[in-house]
Amino acid sequence: MSTPVLAAHAVTKHYRLGKREIPVLRGVDLTLQAGERLALLGASGAGKSTLLHVLGLLDQPTSGQVCFDGRPVHDLPIAERARLRHAHTGFVFQFYHLIPELTALQNVLLARMMASSMTGYWRQRGAARAAAKALLEQVGLGDRLHHRPAELSGGERQRVAIARALLAEPRVILADEPTGNLDSHTAAGVVDLMFSIQQQRGIALLLVTHNEDLARRCDRIVRMQDGVVLAEPTGT
Amino acid sequence: MIAAFSPFVALRYLLARRISLLAMLGVTFAVWSMILVNSVFTGFVGEIRADVRRGTAELLLTDLPLDTGYEPLRAALEADPAVAATAPRLRHHGLLQPLRTPTGRGPAAAAAELQFDHTESGFALLLGIDPLREGEVTPLRQWLERSTEVFAVHGAALEPSRVLDEPDPARREQLLVPDEVEWLARRRAGLRVDHARTAHHSTWPGVLLGWRRAYHMGWLREGDAFDLLTAASVPTADGGARMTTFRARMAFAGWFATGYRSFDENTVLVPIETLRTILGHDRADPQGIDLVTDVAIRLQPDLAPRDAAAAVRRLEDRAQAALPPGSPPCRVLDWQQQNIVFLGAVATEQAMMQFVLFVVMLVAAFVIYAVLHMMVVQKWKDVGILASLGGTPRAIGAVFVLCGLVTGTLGSALGTGLGVLSAQNLNTVNDWLFATCGVELFPRSLFDLQQVPVRLETSWLLLVAIAAIALSLLVALLPARKAARMNPVQALAHE
Ligand SMILES: Nc1ncnc2c1ncn2[C@@H]1O[C@H](COP(=O)(O)OP(=O)(O)OP(=O)(O)O)[C@@H](O)[C@H]1O
Ligand SMILES: [Mg+2]
Repeated sequence: MSTPVLAAHAVTKHYRLGKREIPVLRGVDLTLQAGERLALLGASGAGKSTLLHVLGLLDQPTSGQVCFDGRPVHDLPIAERARLRHAHTGFVFQFYHLIPELTALQNVLLARMMASSMTGYWRQRGAARAAAKALLEQVGLGDRLHHRPAELSGGERQRVAIARALLAEPRVILADEPTGNLDSHTAAGVVDLMFSIQQQRGIALLLVTHNEDLARRCDRIVRMQDGVVLAEPTGT
Repeated sequence: MIAAFSPFVALRYLLARRISLLAMLGVTFAVWSMILVNSVFTGFVGEIRADVRRGTAELLLTDLPLDTGYEPLRAALEADPAVAATAPRLRHHGLLQPLRTPTGRGPAAAAAELQFDHTESGFALLLGIDPLREGEVTPLRQWLERSTEVFAVHGAALEPSRVLDEPDPARREQLLVPDEVEWLARRRAGLRVDHARTAHHSTWPGVLLGWRRAYHMGWLREGDAFDLLTAASVPTADGGARMTTFRARMAFAGWFATGYRSFDENTVLVPIETLRTILGHDRADPQGIDLVTDVAIRLQPDLAPRDAAAAVRRLEDRAQAALPPGSPPCRVLDWQQQNIVFLGAVATEQAMMQFVLFVVMLVAAFVIYAVLHMMVVQKWKDVGILASLGGTPRAIGAVFVLCGLVTGTLGSALGTGLGVLSAQNLNTVNDWLFATCGVELFPRSLFDLQQVPVRLETSWLLLVAIAAIALSLLVALLPARKAARMNPVQALAHE
C-alpha cells in the first residue's frame, strides 16, 4: 500500500466549555489514498465536521497527528499550514460559503490568488481566468460567470464552490455534506458532477454525508460515533 | 508580500458598501478643512507678522539706565561693521487732547469721551523719534503713505502727511506743518494770531497719530492744535524728587498706519527734541543730554542669519561698554523679541486652531474605524472562507488594512486637491458671492485687507495628507488584527 495522501493518527480534539473539557474526537485513525473516494457516515454530533476541519488544517488536533503524504503537518506554523491547506486540500461545505460581493467567476478565481503575490497573479491572470472559466463550464455554469451568489440557485452555488475547490488543483477534496442543503434531484446532479471530476482528475475525496445510498457509491465507508471511528474495513 | 486576494477582496468590499464612501468623504472633509482653514490662518498670520515687522525696528537696544545719552551709544554701535544705521528713541506716556473749538464736536462725541477706553481717553504712549534719522531704521515714510491706503479701504480720501517733505531740516526735525497751515489752524481754534497770514512761522511741534485714533478723534485737519500733557519726576533742590506735570501745545501733522494694531492704537509719534525739552533736557540747556530710552538699529542688508545673531551679541557688548560702569545689563532685541508677547499669542492661537482641526481628523479616523469594525463583524464568515481557501492570517488582516488605507489615501488625496483648489480660488469665490448674492464670507474692512490672505505651505500640505493616511492605517490595524486572529472554524460556523 502506497503512502496515503492524507492520514490521521490517534487524533483527539477537545473543546473547552468553561471548566468542562468536551471530547469531540477521541482517537481517530483514518487514511485516504490518492484518488480514493471515502464516505464518512455518522450521527449528528459524532464529530465528522470537526474531523474534517482538523484534516484540512483549519483546526489543530488536541493530540495525535495529521499527515499529508506521510509528513506530519498539524503543528507547522500557521502560515505554513495555510499554504499547505491551499496546495493540498479543497473544501466544499454544506452552505456553499461563497463571498457575496464576488461574482461566480471571481469566487472561483479567489482560489488562485491565495498563494501568489499581486505581481505574480497579474502575470498569470489570463491563464487563471481561462482555467476558472473552463472549470465553471465543466460544472455547467458557463452562462452564469458574472452572477453573484445571491443570483444563483442552491445547486448552482454548490457547483461554484466545487469549481473553486478544484481550481487550485488540490490532491484531496474535503466535502462536508455538500448536498445536505439541496433537493434530491439537484443533489444527484451535484454528486454526479463531483464524482466524475474526481475520478477524471484522480483526486482523493472525503465525503461526509448522512445519505447511505450516496455512501455506497464510494470506494469505502467509514462510520463515526461519539468521536471515534467504528470500523475501517481494509480494502474494498 | 501581499497575497493577491487581499487587495482584490478589499476593493470589492469597498465598492459594495456605500458607507465606505462616507468614511472616505469624512477624511476628505477633514483634510480639506485642515488645509483651507490653516492656509487662511497662515495668510493672516503672515499679514500680521508683516505688519508687526513693518512697525518695528530690526533691532532695539533697550533696558538702558535712566539719563542715558544717545551720542556715545551711537558712536559705539555705528562703529560696528554690521550696523547700517541707528536712531534715537525716547518713550514716555502722556495725554493728548485736541484743543476744544466752539465749532467742534457735538454732544454725542462728548458722551463717547466718557468711556474708559484707553484710546478714547486720549492716553498715549509717546514715542519720541528723530525725524531726520528715523527713516533710516523704520519705513517712516511708508507708515505715513499707508494711512492713505487704509483710509481708502474705509472709504475716506486723504492726502498723506507732508511733514517729511519739508526741505528745511531744522523744521523737519520738529515735524512742523507749513506756516500757512498753522496760521489757519490758530484761526480755527480762535487763538490770537500776531502776524499776517504770510508772515507767520510755525512753532507748534508736529504730532503724528496712529490712524486708529481717527475712530474716536474724528477727522482732524492738518495743523489742528493739541495739548500734550505728561508728568515726570523732577529732582528738587534738597536732593529729593517731585512729580511734575508738563504741557505742550502741538499741531496735528498727519496719520500713520503701520498695520500693527496695538501700535497704531496706542502710540503717538512726537519729535524727540520736544519730549526731551519737556523732560528737562532742552538742547539749549548746557546740563541737558540727548536723552534716550532705546536705540533703534538697522543692520546691513543681506546679512546671513548667523552673522546677524552674532552681531546682536556683539552690539550688546559694545553698548554695555559705552554705558557708565556698573550699569545694569542692557539688551538688544530683534523685531520678534520686541513683540514676543503678541507674536507668541498669535502662534499659540494658530496651534490651538490646528489642534481643533486635528480633532476633526480624529473624528474622521474614528469613522473609518467604526466602518471597518462593522465590516469585520459582517464579514466573519468571509474570514473563515478565506482561511479555508488557504489565506494566511496576515493576508486576511491585510484585506481590512487595505480597506482603511485605500479609504484614507483616496480621502486624503481628494481633500488635498480640494483644499488647494479652494484655497487658491477663495478670493474669486468670495468676490463672486459678493457680486451675485451680496454675501461676504470674509468681511474685508474688518481686517483692512483688499483680499483674503491665503498662504499654502507645502510642509503643511504634506503633513496633513500623510497624517490622514497614517491615521487611517492606524485605525485599520485594530479591526484587521481582530480578523486575523479569528478562529476560522468558528468564523465559518458564524451565522
Ligand atoms: N466550538 C465548539 N465548542 C464546543 N463544542 C463544539 C464546538 N464545535 C463543535 N462542538 C461539539 O462537537 C461535537 C461534534 O460536532 P461536529 O460539528 O463535528 O458534528 P458533526 O458530526 O459534523 O454533526 P452534523 O452531522 O450535525 O454536522 C458536537 O457535539 C458539538 O456540540
Ligand atoms: Mg457536521
